[in-house]
Formats: sequence, C-alpha cells, structure tokens
Amino acid sequence: MDEIKPKVIIIDDEKGLRIGTQRLLQSENFDVDTAENGLTGIKMATDFEYDLAIIDLKMPDVDGITVLKAIKKAHPNTVCFIATAYASYDTAIEATKLGAFTYIPKPFTPEELLRNLNAGYERRLITLETERLKKEREERLLELAFEKSRLNTIVNSLADGVFVVNKNGELVLFNPSAIKYIELNEVILGEKILGILPPIISEQIKKILDNTTFENKTYTAEVELKPERELVVEIKCSPVPHPDGSLAGVVAVIRNITEMKKVEYVKSQFVSMVAHELKTPMAAVLGFLNIILNPEMKVTPEQEHDYMNRSRNRLNGLVEMVNDLLDISRMEMKTKQRELKELNIGEIVKGTVDFLELELKKKGVTVTSKYQDNLPVFKADNNEITRLFTNIIGNSIKYNKDNGTIDVNVFTQGNYIVTKIADTGIGMKPEDKVRLFSEFFRVKNEYTRSISGTGLGLSIVKRIVESYSGKIEVDSEYTKGSTFTIYLPFTK
Amino acid sequence: MTDTNKPKKILLVDDDYDLLEQNKMLLESKGYLVVTADSVESGFKIFKDEKPDAAVLDLIMEEHDSGFILAHKIKRDAYGKTIPVFLLTSATMVTGMKFGVTTGEEKEWINCDAWFNKPINIDELSNKLEECFENK
Repeated sequence: MDEIKPKVIIIDDEKGLRIGTQRLLQSENFDVDTAENGLTGIKMATDFEYDLAIIDLKMPDVDGITVLKAIKKAHPNTVCFIATAYASYDTAIEATKLGAFTYIPKPFTPEELLRNLNAGYERRLITLETERLKKEREERLLELAFEKSRLNTIVNSLADGVFVVNKNGELVLFNPSAIKYIELNEVILGEKILGILPPIISEQIKKILDNTTFENKTYTAEVELKPERELVVEIKCSPVPHPDGSLAGVVAVIRNITEMKKVEYVKSQFVSMVAHELKTPMAAVLGFLNIILNPEMKVTPEQEHDYMNRSRNRLNGLVEMVNDLLDISRMEMKTKQRELKELNIGEIVKGTVDFLELELKKKGVTVTSKYQDNLPVFKADNNEITRLFTNIIGNSIKYNKDNGTIDVNVFTQGNYIVTKIADTGIGMKPEDKVRLFSEFFRVKNEYTRSISGTGLGLSIVKRIVESYSGKIEVDSEYTKGSTFTIYLPFTK
Repeated sequence: MTDTNKPKKILLVDDDYDLLEQNKMLLESKGYLVVTADSVESGFKIFKDEKPDAAVLDLIMEEHDSGFILAHKIKRDAYGKTIPVFLLTSATMVTGMKFGVTTGEEKEWINCDAWFNKPINIDELSNKLEECFENK
C-alpha cells in the first residue's frame, strides 16, 4: 500500500462532502477522483477501473443504484460503497445484492470511512489474486493439454514404430508405424499382446519383464518380417521406470533396416566373388607348379617353360586385380583425395593414345582422331580422368582385330563434353552388353579366350564417370566393333 | 561297362583354360580319355555326342551356378543319371559362398556325386572315380 495508491472515485452531488472526503483520503494516501453527478460518475468509473468507488445513493440525475449497476457491469472487481443519509435496511440489502461491498450511512466519521475502505481494498486485492491464480491455472491446463497432444502427434509421426507395454504385457501406447511393421490388425489398448507379437519380439520384451528388479538395459534383435530381405527390422526394447525406480513396463522401438541389410548382402556377395576371383588364378598357378613338380607327369622342358610363363601371367593378372580392387575400395570409401584441376579432355585423350603407343604398335592398330577447338575446361582429378580413358582406349586396343582402327572424336554437345571412341574389334552380343559394367564380368567367347583382364576395368570407368555426374553409352555389333561414348558435364 | 580294358571317357568342363588343360593332363596321366568344354552349352552338347563315363564340372563358370545347371541337366538325362558327376570349386566354406539350397529344386541341383577343391588332387579324384565305376 506504500507505493501503489488505491484509486478511489467519489460520486456525490454534494460539493462539501465531495471535497472533504477527497482531502481526507488523499491525506491517507489514496489517489482520489471525484464526480459531481451520477452520469459523470458512470462515465469515469466505466472508462477506468477504480479500485474503490463511493457512490451517493440520492443524486438529481441518476440514482446511486443505477450508477452501482453500471460500474459493476463494466468492472465487477471495483469495490463499491453506497453512501446514504437515508439509511434503511431495504436499501442496504438491495445495494449489497447488486454487488456493493457495503453501505456507509451519512454522516460518517473519518475512522468509519477509512475502516470500510481498507477492508474493501483488501477484499479487492484478494479477489484479484484469486482471479490471477485461476487464470494461470487455466492457462497451464491448456498448455498441458497442448503438450500432450503435441507429443502424441510427434509419436504418431515417427517413421520408427513405437509401442509400450505395461508390466502385465498389456499394450498401453502404440503409433501407426508400429502397427505397419508388425501387422497387428485391430489391436486395442489394454490388450495382452505378447502372444500375438512375432516370437522374437516378445522374447526381448519378456527378458525385461521377467527381471524382478529394474535394470537399465536395452535388448536388441533383428527380425526378418518378410523373407528374402524384403522387410527386416531392428527392435530395441528398453525398460520404463516408475518415478520410484521400479519397473513400469517396456518401450519397444522398431526400425526398418531393410536397405542396410540389402547393402550388407550385396557387400558379402561381392566379397564372395572377390574371393573366387582371387582364388582361381592361384589355383591355376598352384596347378602348374604341382604338374611341374610331379615326377609322374614327365613334363618336357618346353612345356615347363610354357607353364612357368602362364603362371607368371596369372600372377600378373592377380596383382592387377588387387590394384583395381584397391582403387574401387578407395573410391567406395572416398578415401582417395581428389585434386580438382581444370582439365582439357582432348589433351588427356591425346596423351592416353600416345601412352598406349606400344600396345597399338604390337597389334598394328591405327588411330584417327578429331578434337574440337576451344573445348571447355572440365574440373576433375587428372588421375581419375586419365584412368578412365586408359581403360576405355586400352580395351579398344585389346579387343580390336589385328591391324584394326580406332576412331577418337572429342566434341561438345549441350552441356556435355562428349568423347566417342569407336573400334573395329570383336564387338559384343546384346546379352553381354547388358552386363558389361558389372564387377568381374568378362565377355567369354572364342575371340576373348587369349585376352587377359580383371573384369574390373569398365566397372571402374563407370564409377569414375558417375562420380562426375556423367554417363557412358555403348553401341556394339558382334564381330564388327564397339563404340563407347562418354558424356562429362561441364559448367558454362 | 563290361569292357574293362577300354579307357574310361571323362567329360571335363571349365572356363579357365589353364585349369582345363592341367586337369586334362592329370586325368590323362591316370589313363582316362578326356573330352573338354568351356561352357554349359558346349559341355552339354559334348555330353550328348560323346556319352562320357563320368563328368567333372567346374562349379563357377560364367555364372555363379553354371556348374549346378550343367550337373542338373546331365542328371536329368536318361543316360546322364547313370554316370558319376563331380563338381570342382575354388569357393570353399571359408569364403562363405552361399549357394541358396533352400528349395527342393535347388537341392536337387546339387545332386552330384562328389566335390573337389581346386587345384585338384588327382589321386583323390581318380580314386573316387574308380570307386563310382566299381559300385555301378
């Protein structure tokens, strides 16, 4: 009450009383306004919410009861006093019925007035505080309801399946994803579900429920819900504690790990294939050595020399394959540091042809080439692009006919730098063309018998081209030749 | 086989030419007559033409299961089901190669008489061949 002065309005047509009361209250630290008639009083006390109002019952324009009604209607918490010289039991009852705090009979002593006003002001403060608390509580309840529905929305939006069972194995919460994964039709809350769940899932839940004490341990299992890796999920079951630390139930989270499992499978297939591809040449070398060292085999010196040579070729192939595999693995793991430089594809192709001169001469293959002037630069790793063209042009020599030709053409087309490499080699059958870029695939026919290779060259080419958002096309006719077209996108 | 003096004819199929040549030499050193092929198609054709006394097939030719397919084709043949069929593999249990033998049909595919690891031990292989010929 020291800093905040209670605001009072005195509505009275009697000037002397108005001013006298005002002075008295001001000296008692009230903030006082006055109105000289009923209508002014209504206007002032409805425009502004006073803490207290002292209303004269008899006024010439409107009576005090009307003023009281108007103020109470606008501000129910303004504490109103009816002052009257004609005090009677009836008016007192009526005034308090209409919301007056009490009535003060005129004339009043200052003590009488102050006691009433202080009591009224206290009432007002209590009322305001009660209202504030009520409002706060309502707001909190709203917030809580909102929070709960928000949590529900979040849980229901999760891609992972979530469900909770209580200590009795009854379902107490689930989201749509959980139902999707475990295909529980028409589950209802409160239902015992351990018997309906896939056994491997119930087992994890039981592991926790069977524990008599609460142990913060998560049980994880992988479940193949549809065979052949069509749907594999990982289920994680964790105990839910009561506030007192005892076990309340189990929360299970189901995650779809199908894609991961598929990748894992492809990887293990690849490892099997690598193992086979590595073991075959070793078996061949070992086989030759066994024959040479077997006295019963009676190998001639010429044969022995031939076998040694072939063993060496197989071992060279093996080394080459291991190098290719390491390259692939580096590309896959992206451990290879790329040095991006502005390259001229024409120059790299030209350089590659020069580098392969010896191979070209051995087979008598001639190269005709055309490079477009002012080729745009291509930002890439020089080693990778050189490797790409070495593999392609190397193949066009290896699989060419003796004294065949290779036609090289580098030009731009749309947003691409296009390199076309056409050979007059043995070509491919359509069924071989489809598998050309798969690891370890090698075309096998009477022509390719004597050609060595790892079966990884084109798979590396494809990886490089795709890593630069390019594409590669093959056009081929069996026994006539193949054309490889490499598109590398440049930025204008 | 009543004529015991006549050398037994073995069909050998492998797409690795070094191994094909080695195994041919080894089998010949044991007195067998060897006919060779490098694919499922040519292997089956030679089988039909030559009517060998046994077939020794590489498991992995162009496809993962080429050896199975050829073994299967031979075992389904009226004559073929009377001869021993061996499979050679460089894929061992150690490499974790999975052959997908879950369905009945797939199991039938592995209906071969013996498995041998590459490179072959010719004594073991010829002993097994002789055992099969005798039990016939």
